[in-house]
Amino acid sequence: MAAAAQGLSVRLLDEAPQAGGQVYRAPPQSFGAKADPEGIRLRERLRASPVTTCFDHTVWSVSPGFRVDALRPDGTVSFTARAVIVAAGAQERVVPFPGWTLPGVIGLAGATIMLKSQGLLPGRLTLVAGQGPLLLAVAVGILKAGGRLAAVIDLASRAEWWADWPAIASRPALAARGIAWQLKLRRAGVPIFYRHAIRTVTQTESGLAVATGPVDAEGAPLAGAGHEFLVDVVTVGNGLTASTDVTRLLRAEHEFKAVRGGWVPTLDADFRTSLPGLYVAGDGAGIAGAAAAARDGWLAGLAAARDLGALSTAAYEQRVAPLRRAASRARLFGAAMAKLMALRPAQVAAIAGETIVCRCEDVTRGELDAAVREGAREVNQVKAWTRCGMGPCQGRICGDIVGALVAGRGNGRHEAGYFTGRTPFRPLPLSQLAPLTDYADLRLPPPAPL
Amino acid sequence: MAHSDIAVIGAGAMGATTALHLARAGMRVALVDRGEICREASGVNAGTLTLHMTRAALIPYAIKGRALWLSAAEWLGLDVGARSAPGFSLAFTAAEEELLVKRAEARAAMGAPIRLMTPAEVCTIDPGINPAICAAAFCELDGHVTAYLTGRGYRQALVAAGVTLVEKTPVVEIDRRDCAYRIIGRNGTQLAARRLVLAGGVWLETMLAWLGLHIPVKCLTNQLVVTERMRPVMRSVVGIANGLLSLKQFENGTVLIGGGWQGHGDPIRGGVEPIPDNLIGNLQLARHAIPALCEARILRIWLGLESETDDAMPMVGALPGLPDAYVIGCVHSGYTSAPYMGLLLAQLILGHEPEMPLFDPGRLIRSTAAQPKDLP
Amino acid sequence: MSVYELYTVRRQRTIGMKESQSLLQCSSLRTHQIKQASLVRFSFDDKLIEAYAGETVAAALFAAGIRVLRQSPRAGAPRGTFCWMGLCQECIVVADGVRRPACRLEVQDGMVVQPGTVP
Repeated sequence: MAAAAQGLSVRLLDEAPQAGGQVYRAPPQSFGAKADPEGIRLRERLRASPVTTCFDHTVWSVSPGFRVDALRPDGTVSFTARAVIVAAGAQERVVPFPGWTLPGVIGLAGATIMLKSQGLLPGRLTLVAGQGPLLLAVAVGILKAGGRLAAVIDLASRAEWWADWPAIASRPALAARGIAWQLKLRRAGVPIFYRHAIRTVTQTESGLAVATGPVDAEGAPLAGAGHEFLVDVVTVGNGLTASTDVTRLLRAEHEFKAVRGGWVPTLDADFRTSLPGLYVAGDGAGIAGAAAAARDGWLAGLAAARDLGALSTAAYEQRVAPLRRAASRARLFGAAMAKLMALRPAQVAAIAGETIVCRCEDVTRGELDAAVREGAREVNQVKAWTRCGMGPCQGRICGDIVGALVAGRGNGRHEAGYFTGRTPFRPLPLSQLAPLTDYADLRLPPPAPL
Repeated sequence: MAHSDIAVIGAGAMGATTALHLARAGMRVALVDRGEICREASGVNAGTLTLHMTRAALIPYAIKGRALWLSAAEWLGLDVGARSAPGFSLAFTAAEEELLVKRAEARAAMGAPIRLMTPAEVCTIDPGINPAICAAAFCELDGHVTAYLTGRGYRQALVAAGVTLVEKTPVVEIDRRDCAYRIIGRNGTQLAARRLVLAGGVWLETMLAWLGLHIPVKCLTNQLVVTERMRPVMRSVVGIANGLLSLKQFENGTVLIGGGWQGHGDPIRGGVEPIPDNLIGNLQLARHAIPALCEARILRIWLGLESETDDAMPMVGALPGLPDAYVIGCVHSGYTSAPYMGLLLAQLILGHEPEMPLFDPGRLIRSTAAQPKDLP
Repeated sequence: MSVYELYTVRRQRTIGMKESQSLLQCSSLRTHQIKQASLVRFSFDDKLIEAYAGETVAAALFAAGIRVLRQSPRAGAPRGTFCWMGLCQECIVVADGVRRPACRLEVQDGMVVQPGTVP
C-alpha cells in the first residue's frame, strides 16, 4: 500500500484466500465468525487501495530481474516486476523429542491457526509447551475457546520474561495483556512449570502420555523428577524462524542472528537486500513481531518507490524520518519477545540419537552425527549423505535444528551454513506445470549429437 | 608449506579416483577442492548409467566405469546406490526411429549390447512406458547411481588411503618454484607438490590458464528435476532417441528427470535459474514417456554444470610442455566413466601403459602464453 | 453431530489421570466461533465425514477424531497435521486423485479423499 500510494503499480500475491498472514488470519467467510478487528481494518484498507491483489496464488519461484511464478487453482501464471518486496513472514520451529512426530502433536502456530481460522480446539485436554509469547497466547486462546489445559511447560524462567522490562514497558498495552494472560491462567488453575521441557510423548490407548522434566538456562535437561500428563493433544513450539525461500534462491547475502530466529537476509537500513530491487520486510527479515512488521513494510514500500523513481530522495527522507523512529520503538518489544524465542543450543545438543530430526525422510539425529563424523561439516553435505532435507518440505521444518546440530559438532553456525535455496518453494504438481500436449506440438531443441 | 608428491586440484569423481589410486600405490597425495568433496557435477548429476546416450567412441570406457560403480562396495568401500537396470531409448516419431536405429548401430559396433525391441516387448518389461512408442532400443547394461552419495563413498576411501584432503579451499593461482608446483588458496593456504593433476571440471579453462595454456572449455548448464516419492511407475532407465530425456525411479520412489535441457548459468555464478520453456519441455517429454508422472509433485529443480571441449571428446593425459602436469575431465557421460578414467590416468602417472588409450589434451591447445611463472 | 458441553466444575491444580481419561472421551472440538455453517459431506479412507462448508479437510478430519492421515515413508509411522500452514507436508492426502496438504484444501461436497501414504 505504501508503494502504491506513490503511484507505483503494485501486485500483492499470497497463497491464502484472504489477507492477514498468520497474525490476522481470518476464519472462512462462511463461518460468519468474528475476526480480529485489526485484521478486518487491514483487509478493508487493502481493498480500498490501488494494490492489485492475487490471493490463492502460491509463489513457487522468483527469477532475477524479476519474474515471479505462481500456482493458482487453474494453473501456473507469471508476472514481471522491476522490484520485489518479500513479506513471507516466519515459520515455526520445534526442537525434536521422542514422539514429536505422533499425530496429535502440533505446533503452537498450528494451534493458533486451528483456533483463529478453523474454529477448532486443538484438543479436549491440551498440553502447551515450548517458549516465547506464543506459549501464553495459545494457552489463553484455548481457555477462551472453552478448552481445558493440562499444563503450560515453559523453557524460560519467570525472571526471563521480565529481564528486558524496559522493552516490555515500551508497549504498555501488550505488557498489560501479558499480565492479564498470566492471571487468567492462574485463576483457571492451570499449572505453569517454568524451566521445564517435554522429555517424551508416547501414544497409549487412552491418549498421549507426556513426560516433562526440568532444564537449565541453556535448555539442557537436568536430573530430577518431572511431571506426567495424559492428554489428547500436545502443542509445542520453540520460537519462529524467518522464511527465506526467496532470498536463498536468489543467492542474496544472509547472516546468522540467533535472536532474530537464525539465518536472515542481510539488509540495509531501508530493507534492501544485497540484490538491487529486492527488499524484505516483516518477520521474513528476522523475527521482530507484528507491530514492527507493519511499520517496516511501510518503510520498505517507500524505499522501493524511491529507488524506482516514484519518490524524490528529499520527499523520501522527510517521510521516513518519523516512521523510522516509530519503527525502532516498535522493534524494542518485538526484540524482547524474539529473544525469548531464540533457540537454546543445549536443548538441541541433548536430542537423543534415535530421535527423528528430518520428519519427511525419517532421518535420526544418530544418522546426522554419523555424517558429521565422516567429514560432512556443512548442512548441504550432511543432506547429500543422509537425505535429511530432501523430502517434501525441503528442509524448511528441520533446517534450523540441523544447522544447530552440525554447528555444535563442528565450528559453529557459519561453517554449518544453511540449505541451498532452490525452486519450487512448495511441491508443484507436474501436471500443472507441464500440461499434456500432442507429441508433435512439443518444441524440442535439436537432438544430441550421435 | 605442506609438500606432497602430487596435488590433485578438484575433488569430483575424476580427481578423487585419480587421487585414490595414486595414494594406494604409495604416493603422498594432496586433494584440493574449493568446497566439500563431490558437491559439483559428481554430486548433482542424474547418475544415469546408460550406453544409449554415451558417445560411441566412449562406450568401452563407460562399460568399464559402470562395472566399477556396481562393485563400489569392494574397491571403494561403500555402496553408493549403484543398481543395474534395463535401459530403453524410445522413439515416438518416424524421424526419431531413424535416429534410434543409427544410434543403436553405432554403439553396438563399439561393443554395447543394444538391440531393437518391439513396443509390445518393451511394455512387457516395463509396463510404465507409454505404449504409443513407434520403436525402442534396449540395453541390459544400464542402471543408475545415487549421485549425491558419491562424496561419502570417496571420502572414507581417501582418508583410509592416507590422502590429505584439503576442502573448502578455492585455488587462486598455481606457479612453479624450485621444481615444484605451488598451489595458492584464497584463504592463504599454500601447498607444494612435485606433480600436478588438474581435475577442475568447468573451471579447467581457468586452471590451465594459470599454467600458461589456453584450452577453451565450454560450460553446459544442465537442468534436473526430482519428484516426491511416488508409487512404482517404472522399472527401467528411460531415454528418448533424440537424447533429450533421462528418467529413472529410485528404490525410495522418487523420480529423477534429466536430459540436458539448458538453464542459465556459468562457472562464476554457478547454476542461476532454469529457463521456463526448457523446464516445461523437459517435463512434457517425461510425462509422454511415463504417463503416470502426471500424478507426481515436483520437489526440486536444480542445475548442474558440465564441461565440454571443442571436439566434445575428453581431455585425459599429460599436459604438453609442462613437467609432471596432467589433466582429466570434459568427458561426456563423465560420471559413468569417472571411476575408469581416473584409474587410467593413475596408471599413466605411475609409469604404466594405461590399459585403454587416453585423450591427448595437446590437440585442444589454442595457444600457449609464456611459461608458467618460474620464480627464482 | 456436534455436542457442546459446558464445564462449571472448579478444577484442581493438576488434572489426575482418571479425570484426564474421562475428559478425553467426551465433548466436541468445535468452538463457539462458528456462528453459521452449512454442512458438506466428503469421504476419507472410505468413511463418510460431515464438515462445515469453508473449513479445511484437515480441520474437518481433526474435528471428526481422525488424526492419522498417512504413514511416513521409511518407518511407516502414523503421521497427521503438524504446522497447519502448508509447509511441513505431513498432512498430505490424495483428494480426487491429487496429492495436497489437507490444511490447505477446502472441503467440497462429494470429495473423495484418501490417506497420503505412498504405496
